[in-house]
Amino acid sequence: MTNLIGNTPVLIILLPLCSALLCLALTAVSKNLGSLVVKISCLGSLVLSVIQLCMVVSGGTIHYAIGNYAVPYGIEFVIDSLNAVLLVAFSLMGFLTVIFAGNFSDNKNHFKTAGAYAELALLITGILGMTSTGDVFNLYVFLEITSLSAYCLISLGGSRGVVSAYRYMLVGTIAATFYLLGIGILYATTGTLNMGDMSNILNEGGHDGAMLVAMCFLIPAFGIKMALFPFHGWQPSAYTHAEPGSRPLVTGVMGKVPALAMFRFFYCIYGTDFRFFRIALMLLGILSVIGMIYGSLMAMGQNDIRKILAYSSVAQIGYISLGFAIGTPIALAGSFLHMLGHAFMKGGLFFCTGAIRYKYGTVDINDFGRIYKKMPLTCGLLVIAALSMIGIPPTAGFFSKWYLALGAAGQHEWIYIAVLVLSSLLNAVYFFRLIEKVFIRQSSDLKTRWESEVLELPVTLIIPIVACFLAILGIGLFNVKIIDVLLMTLEGVGL
Amino acid sequence: MRKTITIILLITAVFVPFIAFNVLPVIGDPSSAPNTHVSDHYIEHAIDECNSPNMVTAVIVDYRAFDTMFETTVMFLAGLSVIMILANRPKKKIFAPSSLKRFRESGHPIYKTVNKDVMISIIEPVILIYAIYVLFHGEVSLGGGFQAGALIGMTYLLDVMVVKREKPIFNLPKKRAAAIAGIGPFIYALTGFISIIGGGLYLEYNKFPFPIHQAELHSIGITAVEIGVTIGVAGTIITILNALMERISFDDDIN
Repeated sequence: MTNLIGNTPVLIILLPLCSALLCLALTAVSKNLGSLVVKISCLGSLVLSVIQLCMVVSGGTIHYAIGNYAVPYGIEFVIDSLNAVLLVAFSLMGFLTVIFAGNFSDNKNHFKTAGAYAELALLITGILGMTSTGDVFNLYVFLEITSLSAYCLISLGGSRGVVSAYRYMLVGTIAATFYLLGIGILYATTGTLNMGDMSNILNEGGHDGAMLVAMCFLIPAFGIKMALFPFHGWQPSAYTHAEPGSRPLVTGVMGKVPALAMFRFFYCIYGTDFRFFRIALMLLGILSVIGMIYGSLMAMGQNDIRKILAYSSVAQIGYISLGFAIGTPIALAGSFLHMLGHAFMKGGLFFCTGAIRYKYGTVDINDFGRIYKKMPLTCGLLVIAALSMIGIPPTAGFFSKWYLALGAAGQHEWIYIAVLVLSSLLNAVYFFRLIEKVFIRQSSDLKTRWESEVLELPVTLIIPIVACFLAILGIGLFNVKIIDVLLMTLEGVGL
Repeated sequence: MRKTITIILLITAVFVPFIAFNVLPVIGDPSSAPNTHVSDHYIEHAIDECNSPNMVTAVIVDYRAFDTMFETTVMFLAGLSVIMILANRPKKKIFAPSSLKRFRESGHPIYKTVNKDVMISIIEPVILIYAIYVLFHGEVSLGGGFQAGALIGMTYLLDVMVVKREKPIFNLPKKRAAAIAGIGPFIYALTGFISIIGGGLYLEYNKFPFPIHQAELHSIGITAVEIGVTIGVAGTIITILNALMERISFDDDIN
């Protein structure tokens, strides 16, 4: 048993992977066995990631060398306090999405259901793997798994989904190629693929030209994957038309992991001593500022709730990269807190739209009149997530913006604070429009697809909704503890 | 205006790397960074650490075995995605023109020089033997799991597409083929678990709980992994074939 605990970093990834690989074979044995195994394995990796977080908090960073080879020769997993916290959040979102997805599966076609579950489990594997790896090429492999399963999950959402997945695939392939070119140049200058080793060699100095060229490839690569402002073209339609069951994971988590990878390259590999570091940060800052305003403005013009949320994601990714652009430990912590919070906010909002769609079959906000009487729990989450997006205490969104503003004030970047406030006000405009529809507008005739006297929705839909509600409030209320854990790593790497 | 900006951007994007790529070392330079740091260790220690005379195999399935596991998973994922997207769309009704039937009968070979049915039946076992040879030689010389899997998949493809049988010898419909494609990488992952049971880290072949010499343990590990890759690749090729065959209506069918 102690042996298993020592292997937690890799077991967290292997559980969803093995369940995905066996899902189709098990479905051939018994109809629901495959999806059951996927659910159990996701729960297992959630439990293990919580154990791992406790281990990291008490015992410091975990280095796990696969195959027990010495560091630059084999592949290494590095779990510091950032990874550990994010792994808990991402595996929780994965588990909730897997439960949620069961309501949207095609009950007649078991093969299709099993395939969709396998894709979902592989998406979770890729996300968790990208979060915990410490090797640049291993990161690329996980990036590939994440992207491929996301392409498939988006294209399963009907004929519009196929077109948006195709667009995403074209752009995403360019991003993957750019990433590969970037790490190719870095490998040619250092001769290693391990992040820690690469950072040591680069910090000896004398590689500024190669590092600059590599960074020119890496910024668009991660920008496309995380849908940063000028590279976000694929994102709104892909988020809108993704398969409804997997949409919370695709929208809530998938964009955050490349952001973490970008942080690793900027702060852990390149380091703040890099000659062009300030210029890169300024570029990133400009992109995120434009993205924050543009995303909010575009979201105001939409009527489809999924489109509103998709454009608001462009703005929210801007907040995360703004934290990277400011670069002090407190701003970085704010940006990681926003990553955590936004995973649950955006995921939660998509759980709500999924639930409303499940019950009434509509996604147009003009049909949402006084829906709170019929679906109190769902509307509770809708309101708390919307308030958190705007940034009203005591929700998660307020505190992440607070830390971002603190960091910006520390660096005397007053423009960033002004844009932060402006973007929050714009958020308020379109989210209050949504809240107005839910509470005040005359109710319209909606046909119920789900009949029950006791519960407003099936239990498998209620669990994710309640969990997201608690998570948003919990991250807000216990933000000091989370920030302390995050600062354990961030103190050493920031400006 | 928008087009002009795009074109200017593209042209600069193409030409800037030409200037910038002199940051890369000269091809074949023995003192460049990639040839002095990690590769040296692989060249010097591959044989005593991994017991594999083939250094490429040692790097792929021993030092960086974890990457290869996920590359195999990518194969499975690609096959699964193809079949999910292509074969699960609502089926259209196919109106086969009456002329098609007549044409099909005339499709039998009229030339009697080489009987392809007989030929294929002779060639197939030879290809399969060669595939297994390639698979088990992957560790010591040229070859490996990917190639062996491709050969096995191609044999099935030949068998299905060329020979006209009332009942095929091996019938793998899409569900079973995709399940097999998943079981391949699972064997790979399971190999890693065995070393965890033996008290080691993941994919640490030294710690297999078998009472034999360490070098033999590495051979067993590499072979098990290669078998997993073979099954995965063969399954994926058959899955993609099935996905294409389910799209019954091809344009060039009729005429």
